[in-house]
Amino acid sequence: MALGKFLVKRLLQGVFVVWGVVTVMFTLRAVSPGDPANLIVGEAADPHLREQVREQYGLNEPIYVQYADYLQGIVVGDFGYSFQSGRQVEAMVIERVPATLELAIAATIIAILIAVPLGVISASRRNEPADYGATMFSLLGISTPNFWLGLMLILLLAVQLGLFPTGRRPVGLAEALTALATTGYATGLVVWLKHIILPAITLGTYFTALITRLTRSGMLDELGKPYVDATEAKGLPAALIRYKHVLRNTMIPIVTVLGLQLGTLIGGAVITETVFSWPGLGDRLIQALNARDWPLMQGIIVFIGISFVLINIVVDALYASLDPRVIDE
Amino acid sequence: MIPERLRSNLKREFDRSLLAKLGLVLLVGVLLMAVFAPIIATHDPTRTGYVDENGNEYPPRGAEYTTQIGEDGEFVEVEVEPNEEHLLGTNNIGQDVFSRFVYGARTSLLVGLLGTGLAVLMGVPFGLIAGYYGGRVDDVMMRIADVMLAFPSLVLALALIGVFGTSGIGVPDPIVMAGLADGMPESTAIPGTVTIVVALVTWVWFARVARGEAMSVRTEEYVKAARSIGASDWTILRRHVLPNSLTPVIVLATIQVAAVVLLESSLSFLGFSGTTLSWGYEIQRGQDYLRTRWWIATIPGIGIVLSVIAVNLLGDWLRDALDPNIEGERG
Repeated sequence: MALGKFLVKRLLQGVFVVWGVVTVMFTLRAVSPGDPANLIVGEAADPHLREQVREQYGLNEPIYVQYADYLQGIVVGDFGYSFQSGRQVEAMVIERVPATLELAIAATIIAILIAVPLGVISASRRNEPADYGATMFSLLGISTPNFWLGLMLILLLAVQLGLFPTGRRPVGLAEALTALATTGYATGLVVWLKHIILPAITLGTYFTALITRLTRSGMLDELGKPYVDATEAKGLPAALIRYKHVLRNTMIPIVTVLGLQLGTLIGGAVITETVFSWPGLGDRLIQALNARDWPLMQGIIVFIGISFVLINIVVDALYASLDPRVIDE
Repeated sequence: MIPERLRSNLKREFDRSLLAKLGLVLLVGVLLMAVFAPIIATHDPTRTGYVDENGNEYPPRGAEYTTQIGEDGEFVEVEVEPNEEHLLGTNNIGQDVFSRFVYGARTSLLVGLLGTGLAVLMGVPFGLIAGYYGGRVDDVMMRIADVMLAFPSLVLALALIGVFGTSGIGVPDPIVMAGLADGMPESTAIPGTVTIVVALVTWVWFARVARGEAMSVRTEEYVKAARSIGASDWTILRRHVLPNSLTPVIVLATIQVAAVVLLESSLSFLGFSGTTLSWGYEIQRGQDYLRTRWWIATIPGIGIVLSVIAVNLLGDWLRDALDPNIEGERG
């Protein structure tokens, strides 16, 4: 099968998955107790007003019409209106994406920068103190709930030592960069950086630990293979063998696992954002949930589902171009 | 029951691994704490109000007569620093932090074990059927699994709780009923909805593993032989396919207990728990007192970390001894 055909197949599967996510969310909303009109105007509201609201939000339509409308809306990017604020859901989602994206990318960068070298060192010095240290670190990392880690970092580094600010960040990356470009002052960027470090460490620790473990065990598997002896026999330097040949082969399974663990990253972001009042999607999701604002909640979760599917298709495409055998599986 | 080779592998790995021993000790410790919570705890973990060294009882903050405590008739919080009476002090409504820490182990372990057990019961048959029949059946079932995987488990759990709420089931506490601990709560709350919800969001990992195993044995000679002598699909699934998938399922289940404990603590931290006696819930409460009473949020976190480390270490031991290649969700 050619790469193109493989991608078309994956895209069709992706469309199905997104439809599934939308349907699950719609069903959950449909079976959830309580009259949505109460959530919008309050229980004591005038019956006429309530009726007006029901009409306005399409709540008087039969359920299958509501479903069709919702599905149709998703296709053209119309996610409906928030119960609580009356604003368009898609706008409320999009405005929160940059903060979450910044956090997730920062966490991933931290994780890869620390974990890959740590895993390589750990594997090449097996059963030496460095290996034990890395193993203990990764065990702690995968066993620590990130909300607690975040609180401990706040307690030690922000409250006790005063190294980092607490509270919601005053400026996003885009604004900081705009300020730098227009005024030439980097103050905003520094403030942004100071605010993102602790949340990024909080979110990234689990992945650092996970990738360290994967790199270590993958390297150990690869180092036992005959081609390593062959390259050694040819007299290639050990470091070159490790980083160029062995690590490259190790990365393939790591990329797959990371694709699968993307959900964990997003789930982790939800809770990290809550701890640090980080103005991202997760923070908004929790607000929506507490207010029982179903259209907003639904919109955020469907958006997360779509992103998950798209990123996985990209990962698959990369993977297939690295290792064409995947296409036939 | 356990094959000889398996047992010797398990034993060899255990003898060799210091970490496996550490894991076992930790897990037994947490289990004992959970089971004998009413005996270990020094106070009723749900009783609000503070008892000082002289035995004077103070009402909890928020009761109308708390103003009596104030020096100038002012409002004074009744929470205290650690002392002889309250080993780890009390929280903002006067409950004993140490006793709540001890009881918290119950919630974590109950949800971890029951939730994972339920996920196994849901996921394994699903995966076995998909893998054994293959073709259309497999296609449809695996697309359902894909949809499940597109939801981050925490996010789906939150959505489900949004619908079903967070009710708990009160179960009589056998230790208290036996008269071994006076003055402790007579029943323990099992966070029922949360347990079901964590199973609903994690079963798909078991389905994937069971499917893989079923696919690999489907074409084995002995399965063909069984079919040729007229064994039904049900018999083949139960007698031949299921036993073969047990090893990876057991290893995955161990790892998933750790993931579920973390998931439960996250849900409790966000305020969605069937019980207030949960480590995650305590951390959320302690969050507001981080500057003045750091231990309220710190101590329960150590409980979570130690329990999850224990389970992960045992999972590593099983994996090394049985060596299946599996992936599960963590966190």
